[in-house]
Formats: sequence, structure tokens, C-alpha cells
Amino acid sequence: MSFIKRLLFLSVINFIDQTMSNFLSEFFIIIPLTFLSYCFYVYRSDKNISALEAFLLGLFFDLISSSYFGLNTIFFCLVAYYLNSNANSFKLFSYLQVCIFFGLSASAYVGFTQLVLNLYNFSYLTLFLSSIVNIIFCFIIAFIAAYFPKSINMKL
Amino acid sequence: MARTVPTTGQKLNFLLFLVISILILYFDLSSNNFQNIKNGFKSFKISSYFVLKEITVEPLKSLQNLYKTKSSLIKENEILREKLKLSDLNNFITSKDNIFSKNEEILEDLDKYNFFYDIAKLRSINPNMFKCCDKHRMQIEVIAKDKTDNIEKFVFNKMGIIGQIIYQNKYSEVLLLTDISHSLPIKSESDNFFCNARGSGREGFIICKYNPLVWSEEIIKNQIFYTSGMGGIYPKDIEVGHVTNIEAVNSNEKSLLIKLNASPLDSNIFGVLKN
Repeated sequence: MSFIKRLLFLSVINFIDQTMSNFLSEFFIIIPLTFLSYCFYVYRSDKNISALEAFLLGLFFDLISSSYFGLNTIFFCLVAYYLNSNANSFKLFSYLQVCIFFGLSASAYVGFTQLVLNLYNFSYLTLFLSSIVNIIFCFIIAFIAAYFPKSINMKL
Repeated sequence: MARTVPTTGQKLNFLLFLVISILILYFDLSSNNFQNIKNGFKSFKISSYFVLKEITVEPLKSLQNLYKTKSSLIKENEILREKLKLSDLNNFITSKDNIFSKNEEILEDLDKYNFFYDIAKLRSINPNMFKCCDKHRMQIEVIAKDKTDNIEKFVFNKMGIIGQIIYQNKYSEVLLLTDISHSLPIKSESDNFFCNARGSGREGFIICKYNPLVWSEEIIKNQIFYTSGMGGIYPKDIEVGHVTNIEAVNSNEKSLLIKLNASPLDSNIFGVLKN
């Protein structure tokens, strides 16, 4: 996938993310769909993601999501580095372990972004509910990917 | 195919970009240097949205209307709706029941000007940021014949004050009352209590912290607060909202949670005071 395609894909996911979060915020739930999609892309990639690419994608996401510059680049770089380093180890893990890892990464992302964007109204309830929902969400995605027709080649 | 473990050079690259990211985040949080880039992008996004809408959706809509027998009625309905919104805005300014009209200075201005505010249309508000986070902003387009400097002009809708303009380009950025960096000078009806109410970062609420040893007036729940006129941006005696919660932080500090009358999500037409 070329870099432009990745940017477009990120924009579309971000649009869905924002539409969804508008509704989910009523229930104190945050699902960082764009961040999870990026994690999935790095995880599924055949080759290592470069630091520059992670940085630029993070910066672009900061721009389109109206957050502070640098907020998502930190997380995109960290995730790219961690997944690059442990890409082979992940193959030994079960679906359950991978889903819990991604769910907890999403929760850490939610916690950190809330600390920066919403410090005055930081809510542990939001963090707790989001953690549970993110883990369940990853399970659902894994379940769909595993049991859907093979033509949809998205198996985790 | 197995992926290789990052080499030392690649690890250093990640470290370097991580440090750069942290520095960028620090600069963005502590200064306002990236605001122009963000506002430029927002303007581009809004313009692109309207251009795309104009090219794709509007022709289809007009085609549909063309074949409708009641198309003229629809158009008339739209015009009437717009007029109703404008009339709501006028009512806010001129209503006899509104505290705004009790201010004699403004009444004098009313005699001078028939229409002393500009109309503005909502162009963008991020409901996620508005419902979740500390930074509450919206983009409006001021529709005025003459291009004047609108920075620090106050923005209102039919329900009351919304915020003030802090940045002006093709679209103007409005700092909403609920933004944590916003401070609104307010007072009680008796003129014996004054306070600077900060944005709470929550939809529809501002917080006023004061020293009960200095301000002796007893504040009760549902008490109504008004703008004090201090600060020079908001005129005096405009109803802001009412107290929903009183919390004694310690013996020297009390905190009032004030529910605002107006919400930027109520309407997509606003007024921007000219003078």
C-alpha cells in the first residue's frame, strides 16, 4: 500500500472514529479506532515500519483529529517500535493474548490522551469502561476475522 | 515471511523521532505556535466540504426539487425558517424580559443602530472535543458587508452568550465559555458578588471559585448570574446561567458550578456584536 493510500485510509478510519465517538462518549466509552487500525496495520505488515513513516502518520493523524501535535506521533512511534521488535514473538501468542495486548494498548492510549486533552475532567470511569470495551472489541474483531469466509483475508 | 528485529540504527531512529515528538508536544502545549497551521487546515477542510457538497449533493437536491410539485413551497419554507432564526436573534437583543435590554447604554446603541450585530453561520464544531475535552472551540463564518476586525468580539445565539472570537481568517475561531482557558467575569443580581468563572471543560458548565471570607453574600442553588461587564469584552447584565452545585473546597475557597443558558449546539446561526 502506498503512503498516500495509507493516509487516505487513515482519514476514512478517522472519520468513522469521530462519528462513533460522538455517540459513545454519552456512555463514557472511548474506542480509539484509528489507533487500533494503525496497530493492526503494523502487526500485519510483512516488513518493518520505519520510524519516519510512524512519525509522519502520527503527525497527519494529529492534524486531522485536531489534537495537539506530537500526541499521536509518540504513540505511533512507540507501537511501531514495539511491534517491530516483537513481531516474531507475537506469532507464538494465542488470539486471546494478542487481543488482550491490543485492548490494553488502546486503554493506555485512551488514558494518556485523556491526560493531555482532558486533564481537568479526567475520569477513571471512562478509562475503566474503555479498557473493558476495547478488549471486547478486539475479541469481536478477532472472532469475525477467524470465522468469516476465507475470501476476506483478515485473519489475525 | 519472518520480520527482522530492528537494528541499532533503526532503534536510534525510533528514539530520535520519539524525542522530536515529545518536544513538538511540549511546544504545542506550552505555546500557540502551531495554531496557524491548525486553523489553515480547518479552513481548508471546511471549504473542501462545502465545495464537494456544492458539486455533488446540491445538484442532486435541486434536481429532486425540480421534479417536486411543491418545490416553491419548500423554498419558501426554508426562507421562512432562516427568517425565524434571525428573528430569534433579534428577540434576544430587544426582548423586554431580557436583562440585556435593561442596560441603558445598549438601549442607546439600539437607537443608533438598527442592526448592531453581524450574523454568523456555524461552519464547524467538533462535538467529540466539545463533549470530551478541555479545548472547546468552534469555527463560524461572519457574514458582513465590510471586513472588520472581529477579534475579541462576543458571540451569542438566541439563548445567550456563547463565547468570543479569538482568531480571524476566512472563518473565525470562537473560544467557547466552557473552554478551560476561558474566563468570564460574572456577578450576582445584587451587585455584591463578583467572580471570574472559568470554563469547566464540560458541556454547558463553568466554574466560579471564590473566597467566602472576602465575598460575604450567601450564594444559593439556582441563583442566577449575570455578566459583570469587567474585562471589556462582554457587556454588563447579560444572564449567563444559574448555580447547580456549591462545593466548599476548604475554609478559604468555595466553588460554584454554573449551568449555562446557551449551548453552541442549539442553533447554527449566531450574532457577533459589532461594538
